[in-house]
Amino acid sequence: MRILPRLGLVAVLSTIAGSLQAAAVSGSIDYGRDIRPILSENCFYCHGQDASHRKGKLRLDTLDGQRAKDAVIPGKPNDSEIIKRILTKDPDEQMPPPDSNRHLTDKQRELLRRWITEGAPFDGHWAFNAPSRPEEPKNRNATWARNPIDRFVAAKLDSYDLFPSPEATKETLIRRVTLDLTGLPPEPSEIDAFLADQSPEAYEKVVDRLLASPHYGERMALPWLDAARYADSNGFQQDGDTYQWVWRDWVVKSLNENMPFDRFTVEQLAGDLLPDATREQKLATAFHRNGLLNGEGGNIAEEQRFVLLFDRVDVTATNWLGLTVACAQCHDHKYDPITQKDYYSLMAAFNNVPENGTAGRITQKIRSADPMIDMASPEQKAKKAALEKALNAARDSLKKEQVAWQQRVLTGDDAVADESIADLLRRCPTPELTKDENEKIRKFFDEKVAGSLESRPKQQIQERENKLNDLKDDYPMVMVMSDAKPRDTHILERGNYEVPKAKVTIDVPGFLPQLPPEAPRNRLGIAQWLVAKEQPLTARVLVNRMWQTFFGLGIVKTSEDFGIQSEAPLHRELLDWLAVELRDNGWDVKRVHRLMVTSATYRQVSKVTTSLLEHDPENRLFARAPRFRLPAMLLRDQALAASGLLVRTIGGRPVYPYQPKDIWDSLAITKERDFTYPQSTGADLYRRSLYTFWRRTVAPANLFDASQRQTCSVRTTATSTPLHALTTLNDPTFVEAARALATTVMTEKPEQRLAVAFRRVLSRWPDDTERALLTRSLGKQLARFQADPKAAEAFLAVGESKRDPALDPVQLAAHAAVCLGILNLDEAVSRQ
Amino acid sequence: MSTTRRTFLGQAAAGLGLAALGGRQVIADDSAVAALAQAKDWGAGPTALNGLPHFAPKAKRVIILWMGGGMSHVDLYDHKPGLEKLKFQDLPDSVRSGARLSSMTAGYKSFPILPPIKPFKQYGQCGTRMSELLPHIGSMADDICVINSMQTEAVNHAPGVAFTLTGSQVPGRPSLGAWLTYALGTQAKDLPGYVVMTSTDEARTCGQLFYEHYWSSGFIPSRFQGVRFRGMGDPVLYLADPAGMDRAAKRDLLDDLGDLNRHRLGQMGDPEIDTRIAQYEMSYKMQSSVPDLLDIDKEPQHVLDLYGPNVKKRGSYAFNCLLARRLAERGSRCIQLMHSGWDQHNNWSYHLENMTRDTDQPSGGLLKDLKQRGMLDDTLVICATEFGRTVFLQGNKDNPKAFGRDHFGRAYSTWMAGAGVKRGSVYGETDEFAYNVVRDKMHIHDWGATVMHLLGIDHTRLTYRYQGRQFRLTDVHGEVAKGVLA
Repeated sequence: MRILPRLGLVAVLSTIAGSLQAAAVSGSIDYGRDIRPILSENCFYCHGQDASHRKGKLRLDTLDGQRAKDAVIPGKPNDSEIIKRILTKDPDEQMPPPDSNRHLTDKQRELLRRWITEGAPFDGHWAFNAPSRPEEPKNRNATWARNPIDRFVAAKLDSYDLFPSPEATKETLIRRVTLDLTGLPPEPSEIDAFLADQSPEAYEKVVDRLLASPHYGERMALPWLDAARYADSNGFQQDGDTYQWVWRDWVVKSLNENMPFDRFTVEQLAGDLLPDATREQKLATAFHRNGLLNGEGGNIAEEQRFVLLFDRVDVTATNWLGLTVACAQCHDHKYDPITQKDYYSLMAAFNNVPENGTAGRITQKIRSADPMIDMASPEQKAKKAALEKALNAARDSLKKEQVAWQQRVLTGDDAVADESIADLLRRCPTPELTKDENEKIRKFFDEKVAGSLESRPKQQIQERENKLNDLKDDYPMVMVMSDAKPRDTHILERGNYEVPKAKVTIDVPGFLPQLPPEAPRNRLGIAQWLVAKEQPLTARVLVNRMWQTFFGLGIVKTSEDFGIQSEAPLHRELLDWLAVELRDNGWDVKRVHRLMVTSATYRQVSKVTTSLLEHDPENRLFARAPRFRLPAMLLRDQALAASGLLVRTIGGRPVYPYQPKDIWDSLAITKERDFTYPQSTGADLYRRSLYTFWRRTVAPANLFDASQRQTCSVRTTATSTPLHALTTLNDPTFVEAARALATTVMTEKPEQRLAVAFRRVLSRWPDDTERALLTRSLGKQLARFQADPKAAEAFLAVGESKRDPALDPVQLAAHAAVCLGILNLDEAVSRQ
Repeated sequence: MSTTRRTFLGQAAAGLGLAALGGRQVIADDSAVAALAQAKDWGAGPTALNGLPHFAPKAKRVIILWMGGGMSHVDLYDHKPGLEKLKFQDLPDSVRSGARLSSMTAGYKSFPILPPIKPFKQYGQCGTRMSELLPHIGSMADDICVINSMQTEAVNHAPGVAFTLTGSQVPGRPSLGAWLTYALGTQAKDLPGYVVMTSTDEARTCGQLFYEHYWSSGFIPSRFQGVRFRGMGDPVLYLADPAGMDRAAKRDLLDDLGDLNRHRLGQMGDPEIDTRIAQYEMSYKMQSSVPDLLDIDKEPQHVLDLYGPNVKKRGSYAFNCLLARRLAERGSRCIQLMHSGWDQHNNWSYHLENMTRDTDQPSGGLLKDLKQRGMLDDTLVICATEFGRTVFLQGNKDNPKAFGRDHFGRAYSTWMAGAGVKRGSVYGETDEFAYNVVRDKMHIHDWGATVMHLLGIDHTRLTYRYQGRQFRLTDVHGEVAKGVLA
C-alpha cells in the first residue's frame, strides 16, 4: 500500500480522524467540538430543554443545569454524578439507560472524564453566535493561495501535513466552471479562446463572462426551486396545475441581476408588505404559496390550512436558519433551544393569509387558491376583457331574445308546445311569478327555443365561454401572500389544530437576537430580521449551500441543520469568514460565487489518490477538487447543448419534453380530468430542463434523483443505480441527442469525427488510447449497421427532429451509436 | 485500480474507530457509511446493515396487498350480528362521541346504521368469520390473522396511506419498504429489492392517485426507494433498447464504454467510476431479467387458475399477485401491490361486489400458491388499507342504489398471513357497532412495529439520522402486538 511519500509513519496519525483524537489527547478539549455532541446525542433527549419530557429534573444543556445536583463538579470527575452514572453497571442507575438505544464508547467516557478534570469548560453552540471575521491564517507555502479561502484551506492542510493538489488543466477548468455556473458545457469556440488566452487573468475572464451569462440565473435557480418546493401543480388527488412558473422566472431574473440576498429574502417573504409594493415584489411572495395544496374531497379545510402553515414555518426555518423546528410543533425541541411557543410565535407571521386551506377550480386543468395576483401580459388582459365584453353582450342579447319570444307567445306568433309554460307566460306581466316559475320559463326558453334562434346568442355564449376558458388555462393568476385576514394564533396541543392553548403573538425564537422594538410585528419584520447583521445563522447557512454547489459537500455537511445536533464543521473559520464576507458586502451573491470559483482550492485537479482516499475519503479538507455526478437536469441539458439541439430561450410557461407514454395516466386513476401528457413539439422539446413541467405527484420521468419538491430540500443526492443507466442509454432524449451530435461532426475528416464529438461533450481531446477505443467501437457499430441498414434507419428515426437525408444513414447511425456511448462516459456524466 | 467501492468503504468504516472521539466531526456518520456500503450493492445479493437483523427474523420478505381507498371492515371482516336488527336506526350519540369525520359527513344530522352488504360465514378449522364475498381469502383463513382493531388518525386518503406506509401523514418520510431494504438489503440478484406494482378497478371509480411518496425513500438514499413496475409500456422505465439497437449492439457498446471508463479510472483513481461500470452492467442484465420475470407463459395452468381469470392481463391485480410470487422467489425484500377502488361513498353494493370479485381470488390464490411451495413459512403477506368505513350510511337512505359509507379511521380491519403470524386467529375487537376499539388496539405505529418485528427488526433501533435527529418508521411510538405473533 502506498502512503503519502513525505509523511512516512507519521501518516498513520494523519488520518483526519486520528488527528482529532490527537488534539483531544494533547489536552485541548473544545466543549463544542468534543463534548456537546456526546451530551446532545446521548443525554439531551431526556435532560435537554424540553421540560415536559425532562427526567429527574436534570438538564445538561445549560451551564446552570450541569452545575446543579452535582451533575458536573469541575475538576472532580469521580464525584460528578454523570461520571458515576455512565460507569455504573447497575442497569437501574446506568446512563444512558440500557433500553434507550444509545450507548457511549470507552473513548467518549474518557473524554467526558477529561473534560471534567480540566474544569468542565462550557460555551454556547457556535452557530448561535454571530460570526465575526476570523484572521486569515499564515501558510507553510505562502505562494499557493490566490485568495483568503485558500489560506484557510491551506492552513488546515498544513496542520494535517497534507498538500493541495495541482491545478487542473485548462480544459478541465473551463468545463467545470461552465457547468457549475451555467449548467451547460462550454462551446468549442469558448474552449479555444480560453486555451489561446495566455494572460494571467484568462481564467478570471471566463468566470466573469459566465457570471454575466443569462444562463447563470437558470443554473442557480435549481437549488432555490428545490428549497422552495416549487412545482407546476398542487399535488394530491386532482393535482391541478398552477401558474407558479411566473415566480420561477422572477427567481431566474433576480439571480441574473444579482439581487442582494437580503432583498431577495425580504421580497420573497414579505414583498407585499413593503411600502408601495410593486407588482414584482408582490409576485416574489409566491415563494410561500409553492407548498402542496390538497383538493381531495372530504378533507377538512382548516386542518389543511394548518398543514400549509406548518410547511411555511418548516421551510423558512430550514432555508434561512438551517434549523429543524418541526419537533416544536408538538413539544419544546429536544436538542435545540426552540420552544413550542417559539414555533407558534413564528407561525403567527404566516397566519393572516386570506386562504381556506383548499384549492379551488379555475378550469378543468387549473386549481388554485386566493390570494392571487394577475400577472397576465397587457395583450392577455385586453383579450380577456374583450372576450368578457363579448360574452356579456351575448348574454344580454339572449335575455332580449327571451323577452321578444315571450311577447310572441303572448301575441300568438309563436306556438308553445308546453301549455303550462304558456299559462305562466300569460300571467307573466304580473309580478306574482315565483322564482321557481321564472326559472322554469328561462329553462324552457334555454332548452327549447334559444338554440334555434337566428341570431345564435346561445351558441355565441358557449363559444365565448369556451374561449374564455381556454384563455384562463394560460392566463397567469399567481398565488401570493397577503395579510388581509388577521387571525389569532395559539399554541396547539401536540400540533392538533382542534386543541388551541395559549395565544401567542408574532415573534422570533427566544434564544436568537430579538426583533428590534421598532421592527414591524409581521412577516416583514420577520423577513428583515432573518437578514439582520446580528442574526447568526442566515449568512452561514447560505454560504454553506454555495460551497456545497461548488465543492459537492457543504463545509457543514448537514446543510439543512446547523443546530446542536449538526456536524461541528472542521472549517468553521472559513465558514465564518465567508459568511461575514457576504453579509458585510451588501449580500453580494455573485461576489462570493466569484471568490469561490476563482480560488486555488477550486482550481485543483479532482484526481483521487490512494492516500487521499484513505486519509480523507469524503474530501472534507479539500485537498483536491471533488468529482460528482451531474444532476439529472444538467445531464439532459448537457446532451442537448453538446449536440446543438438546445433551444436557449429563457423563461416562460412550462414545456413538455419527451416522456414515456402513460406516466401521467397510469398514475392517475381518476377520470376527473384528462391526464394525457401534452407532449410539446418543435423547439419546446429542446428547452432547458428547468422549464420541464413538474407534476408534483409524478416528477418528470428522466430526472432521476431529483428533489421531491414536497418539502424544503437543500441537499441533493447523487446516486448510482442501474435505472439511471437505462435512462441515459435508452431515453429518446439521449438517443436523439447522440444522432444530432454525430450529425454535427460528419462534416469533419473521418478520422477526426469522433474526437470532435468527444470534445464537444468533455471539452478535451481524446488521448491515443481513447482514440483507438473509439475507432474500434465505430468499427463494430458500422459492421452491424452495414449488415442491417434497416436498423440504421430505425435508430436514426428516434426523436422528433429529422435526420439529415444528405448523410449516409449507415455511417451516421454508427457514429450516433458511438456518440451515445460518449454521452454515457463516466467523465461525461460527472463534473470533475 | 481494483479498489472497489466496498473495500474502500470498508477502509473508511475502519477509520471510524479512530474517529469515535466526538464521533461525527469528520467522517460520515455510521449510518451514512453503512448505507453507502450497502447501497453500492443494489440488487447484488444479501447485504444487511451491521447488526441487522436485530434478532432472528420469522419472515425473510414481505408482500403488501394494499387495498386503496378505504376497505370496509363493516362489510368484510368485522362481524357484528346485531346490526341487521338496527338497520336504518340512528347510531347512538354515545357510540359516536368524539370520532373525527371527514367533511363529507361531519355535518350530518342523523347517522342511520347500514348492516353489511352480505352475510358473514365461518371459514376453515379456526372458524374465523368473514363476508361470504371472500370465499378465496376465507379458504385460507387457517393461515390468516385478521386484525379488527386497527386505528389511524387520518381522515383522508393521501394522508392515510402515507401514515400507514411511511409513519407520517405528511409526505417525505421513508416508506416501510425503503426501511426494510435499507436495513436488510436484498437477495435479488438482478432485480430490485423493493418493487411496487399498481392496479385499479376497471371503472376507475375512485379518484385516488398513486403518489410516489407511498414508496419513497424519503431522506435515506434514493437507491432504497421502491422501483415501480408499470402495468403498461416498459415495465421499468427506459428498459427497452432504442429502436435499431439490438442486444448484441448494446453489448458491444457497453464493452467499449467499459474499456473507456476503465482507462479513465486508471487516470483519476475515483472508485465511483468502478461503481458506475458495475451499474451499467447491471442495467444490461435487468433488460433480460425483467422481461423474464414478466414472462408467465411457463406457469402451469393449475397455478394460473389459482389467481383467477384476469391473471394473464398485464396490469391487473391478479397479474400483479402472480408477479409478487415470482419476485418473492427471486429474492426481492419487499413487494408492494397497490390496488385502488375501495372508496365507496356511493353505489356501494355495486362497487363492493366488483372489488371483492377482483381481489379475493388473486389474494387467496397468492396465499395458496406460496403455501404449496413452502414459501408461506418465510414470507409475510399483509393486507392493509388506509382506514375503514362508517357503519352508518352516506347518502340518502331512501335511495338504496346510491348508498355508501364514509371514511372511518377509529376502528377498521387488516390482516396478516404467513411467516411468524398466529395462524387462524383474530386480533382485537370493536364494540357492537364496529365503531370503537374495545380490546387490543392496533394503532398504525403498532402495526409498523409488528411488521418490522416479524422481519427481525426492533423498530426503535432502526433509525436514520437526518436534520439533527434520529428518525424511525414509528416516530416515537409503537408497540409490537404480541397477540399477532405465532
